[in-house]
Amino acid sequence: MQKKNTLFSLLPRYKGFIAGLLTLSVFGKVLSLTFPKLVAAGIDTYTHGTFNLVTVAIPFLIIGGVMLTSDYILGILGIYASERVASDLRQQVADKISRQSYTFVQSTTASKLLTNLTSDIDAIKMFVSQGMIILVSSLVLLIGASVMLIVTNWKLGLVVLLMIPIMAFMFYGIFSQVGALFGASQKIIDRLNKTINESILGATLIRVLNGQEAESAKFIVVNSDAKENGLKILRVFSSMIPLITFISSLATLAILSFGGHLVIIGQMSVGELAAFNSYVGILIFPMLMLGFMSNMIARSSASYARVAEVLDAPEIPQGGDYKADLIGNIELRNVSVAYGEHPVLKDVSFKLPAKTRTAILGPTAAGKTQLLNVLTGLTPPKSGEVLYDNHPVMSYDSESLHSQVGMVFQDSIVFNLSVRENIAFGHEVKPEAIEKAIDTAELKNFIDTLPNGFDTLVSERGTSLSGGQKQRLMLARALAIEPRVLLLDDFTARVDTNTEHRILENVRKNYPDITLISVTQKIASVQDYDHIILLMEGEVLAQGTHTHLMETSPEYVQIFNSQRSTNQYEH
Amino acid sequence: MNTNSTKRTSSLSAIHKLLPLLKEEKGQLALTVLTVLVASGINLAVPFIFGYAVDNFIKKANYQGIFATTGGLFVAFLVALVTSYAQMQFTGRIGQRVLFRLRNMIFAKLQSLPIAFFNRNKAGDLISRINNDTDKLNQFFSETLVRFTMSIVMIIGSGTFLLVLNWRLGLAALIPALVLFVFTQATSGWIKKRNAEALRATGGLSAEIQESLEHFKVVVAFDRRDYFRRRFAEVNNINFKAAVRAGISSALYSPIYDIASNLAILVVLGYGLNLASQSIITVGLLLSFLIYIERFYGPLRQIAMLWNSLQLALAAWDRVSEILEEPMDLPVVDALTSHNDDSLIRFNAVGFGYPERPNVLSDIKIDLKPGKTYALVGPTGGGKTTTASLMARLYDPSEGVILFDGRDLRTYSDEERTKKIGFILQEPFLFTGTVLENIFYANPDYVDKDRESKIATIDTMGLARLLSRFENGVDTPVSGADSISLGQKQLIAFMRAVLRKPELLILDEATANIDTITEQSLQEVLDQLPKSTTKVIIAHRLNTIENADEIFFVNEGRLQAAGNLQNAVDMLMHGKRQS
Repeated sequence: MQKKNTLFSLLPRYKGFIAGLLTLSVFGKVLSLTFPKLVAAGIDTYTHGTFNLVTVAIPFLIIGGVMLTSDYILGILGIYASERVASDLRQQVADKISRQSYTFVQSTTASKLLTNLTSDIDAIKMFVSQGMIILVSSLVLLIGASVMLIVTNWKLGLVVLLMIPIMAFMFYGIFSQVGALFGASQKIIDRLNKTINESILGATLIRVLNGQEAESAKFIVVNSDAKENGLKILRVFSSMIPLITFISSLATLAILSFGGHLVIIGQMSVGELAAFNSYVGILIFPMLMLGFMSNMIARSSASYARVAEVLDAPEIPQGGDYKADLIGNIELRNVSVAYGEHPVLKDVSFKLPAKTRTAILGPTAAGKTQLLNVLTGLTPPKSGEVLYDNHPVMSYDSESLHSQVGMVFQDSIVFNLSVRENIAFGHEVKPEAIEKAIDTAELKNFIDTLPNGFDTLVSERGTSLSGGQKQRLMLARALAIEPRVLLLDDFTARVDTNTEHRILENVRKNYPDITLISVTQKIASVQDYDHIILLMEGEVLAQGTHTHLMETSPEYVQIFNSQRSTNQYEH
Repeated sequence: MNTNSTKRTSSLSAIHKLLPLLKEEKGQLALTVLTVLVASGINLAVPFIFGYAVDNFIKKANYQGIFATTGGLFVAFLVALVTSYAQMQFTGRIGQRVLFRLRNMIFAKLQSLPIAFFNRNKAGDLISRINNDTDKLNQFFSETLVRFTMSIVMIIGSGTFLLVLNWRLGLAALIPALVLFVFTQATSGWIKKRNAEALRATGGLSAEIQESLEHFKVVVAFDRRDYFRRRFAEVNNINFKAAVRAGISSALYSPIYDIASNLAILVVLGYGLNLASQSIITVGLLLSFLIYIERFYGPLRQIAMLWNSLQLALAAWDRVSEILEEPMDLPVVDALTSHNDDSLIRFNAVGFGYPERPNVLSDIKIDLKPGKTYALVGPTGGGKTTTASLMARLYDPSEGVILFDGRDLRTYSDEERTKKIGFILQEPFLFTGTVLENIFYANPDYVDKDRESKIATIDTMGLARLLSRFENGVDTPVSGADSISLGQKQLIAFMRAVLRKPELLILDEATANIDTITEQSLQEVLDQLPKSTTKVIIAHRLNTIENADEIFFVNEGRLQAAGNLQNAVDMLMHGKRQS
């Protein structure tokens, strides 16, 4: 039962709320227990001929009014408390994720985190708002009603109360089967999310390939699993409520027979018999509630275990506290990076002085993007060192490092914000810096054509922008922070030659002190760079100036030749 | 799709809308109703029998009568046990099946909607509708509906008994219920609105999470983890407020139903005892009455609790049905005429725009002949991808007509069209699975083929050496994240398109991230396609378009022939450009 402890461990933080909830709940329930007594008294005064409507009505109305108020406050408090718990928990999870490394988020998959933040926390919230209160108030009613039964007539009371241990036994049997089923159901929701997600993100492709049926087929598989799981859970629970009703019906039989006998021999009044019926009625309701609640509690426990997993995940510190203005010297010493078991960079070493321009070339899957990831501190190297001005990249204070190293990724990432906010995404970006960045990225013309200029909202995933426009936006974003080091990943792949020339010239002119590292395919654009590194299957095959490589590296020559035919056109 | 308004439909008409989902369950529903009637019938008869026994056996010290009643009731209770178990099974299963069908319906509907829909709606919100909102409906169908029906039957039954046993007393007992009814009607519209807001806020939360997680690496690289937290806090807060408002709106229900119940008891006690004193009713009957009141107001209180669940389900249904009612604006049109055309594809004065940008393309005239290779060049944002998208009918033109093989492009069924026209997208998309699965995704010719024949096909097409780029060859797993590089993804996308042997193949910067040597291998693959294959290549790399038969220059939404390569380059370098 370890999981149950964890779910309950949420509660101490909200003790104020919970105390209030419990008090009001107990108060209300205790009040409700007095009604049957009033009814019994009324009937008995009648049989004794001393019935007076007013003396019966007044306490009724007063108690009723008080109960109304207290229950209403209880309801509101319950809602507020549960939403508070849910909201706090979500923020905690989000904060935790925000402190995690990029590799963590990659491996945990977005769909699972999405389920955690929505469905799982909803289940936990249900526990706080309803489960807990009903649990306690049911216990109060159970105890209260039992006491009233015994007090009214202990002999009949005991007989009737036999049903409680029977029901407890039954609950235990059911609970033990159910925990695993709920964990499974959340996992299935993960898969549902993922499938839906991919089919939305891949919507264009699906239409181009007419893959709608394939997608629906995939979805039916997961959906069927969800149905099967639901049916399994149903099988366990559908016996519960009928059994509860049956057992309490047996109590009614006891009242009829044994109670009837007691009335006949004069040990009980008819009024008390009526009261007994009422109390059994009061007893059934919490029993039924406990039945419904056990379903919910099992679900909440399973969800909490999943959320706790995220909250308890170890945090790898994201950088140290070294702060310095970068000069821009970059060095890699025997750096190796692996993606799981699969090595993507093997023993890579090079040294780049500040203010130089370096190109990284290589075939597909050579590890070029991984190299840039290591340079930004997104992926820590498995071995070796990455040094900026002779200090390891991981020792830098994160803000200090990232405000001086600008990165333009290969795949376009544009936020659902205005153009201005997209460009000014880094910390403390100055307006002059934005201006300069936009000019350098040749974006001015484009922005002038937008309906709201700078403040135009870019749609999700930047779907209303062309590939080249998105890339230039990302470049402006990187330049706007006025970096010392600029990393470009295949930047010119989506941009035509003319624009490419102009942008690279602009960068050279407007940002003369930058250390530039550019991953590219085209030798022509980078022929005059200070340093060219040829990467193949994770290893540095050759490095040097263009002339040097033409003389010493046959692979480099091969690449050059494959592009030569059109080089002549571009000058 | 309306994301910000709440439809003003009454609860009744909304329930009416939910009914079609239950159509297939008619048989099961009938059985369920039967079991409910039996179990409830027994439940309802008991208080009366009890009252009768008190009057005729207990008061008259008739032990035989008591035992007989006890025995009879025991049998009845057993029957009730069995039938109510059956009932729970039936209703539960119905709920699961309805949910299953509903989810499939929505998903299938999503597949049939055009691209423009996805541009307008956030992924996270859509996911929320399919998962979260249908789950609310699920809770309603599987749990709430059961309790709802049980309660309604009890209420009707008890109410009937109350009126039949003594209509005056019964009426008096039912008056508080009337007040409740009025109250509920008055407030339900307001509650539904609040619930709709809460669901919307959850959709927004979901959308934000989705986007932020996708963009995480930029957040890290620009050290804006605070942005991530702040954005989330904003959306979280909105969600919190909406949820609290929704909850509070229905918090009054339970307490009010409780007090109504107690008032009824008071009324019955006072008036009932009065009637008893006039010997109009017996004490035993009064006892029965009191129990029936509990059997009436108890379930009524249940319904109060469930009412919120119903409102939530109705609000969820609104959101879900918005998707289901979304018009499909790329219908297949009936073929009126088709003439023999020696052109493969023709654009006749085609124009296109989006709502926010009306003149993306103007007056485009293209005439492509089969078997030739065409190139589209031009500055970024000039309209190349849009032109290609129109060729593949991802959108319909705003003006003009596109003819494919002599017929209006819109007259082709999806199957036909996607078989004939292949499109390699700029941003390659892969599904979770293996490389092999992705290469053959949705390829109708290979659906029934086994692994060996698929691999053999790859060899025959000359694609085998490209697989050396993948660690485990065709079995390399693709997980949608960055497990493989962008260039590798483009390779897979390339192979996937080529294996379909389309008549028209459009390559939208398909090799942009692939190194020039590998690109040459791909060129060789393209050369192996049937000579009749028409290729349209969009690229910035000149060596990619070197061998094109004709080059078009696309700029500012207009298209012009560019003659030979040198001419095209001149236009690129020196022509007026805007983007």
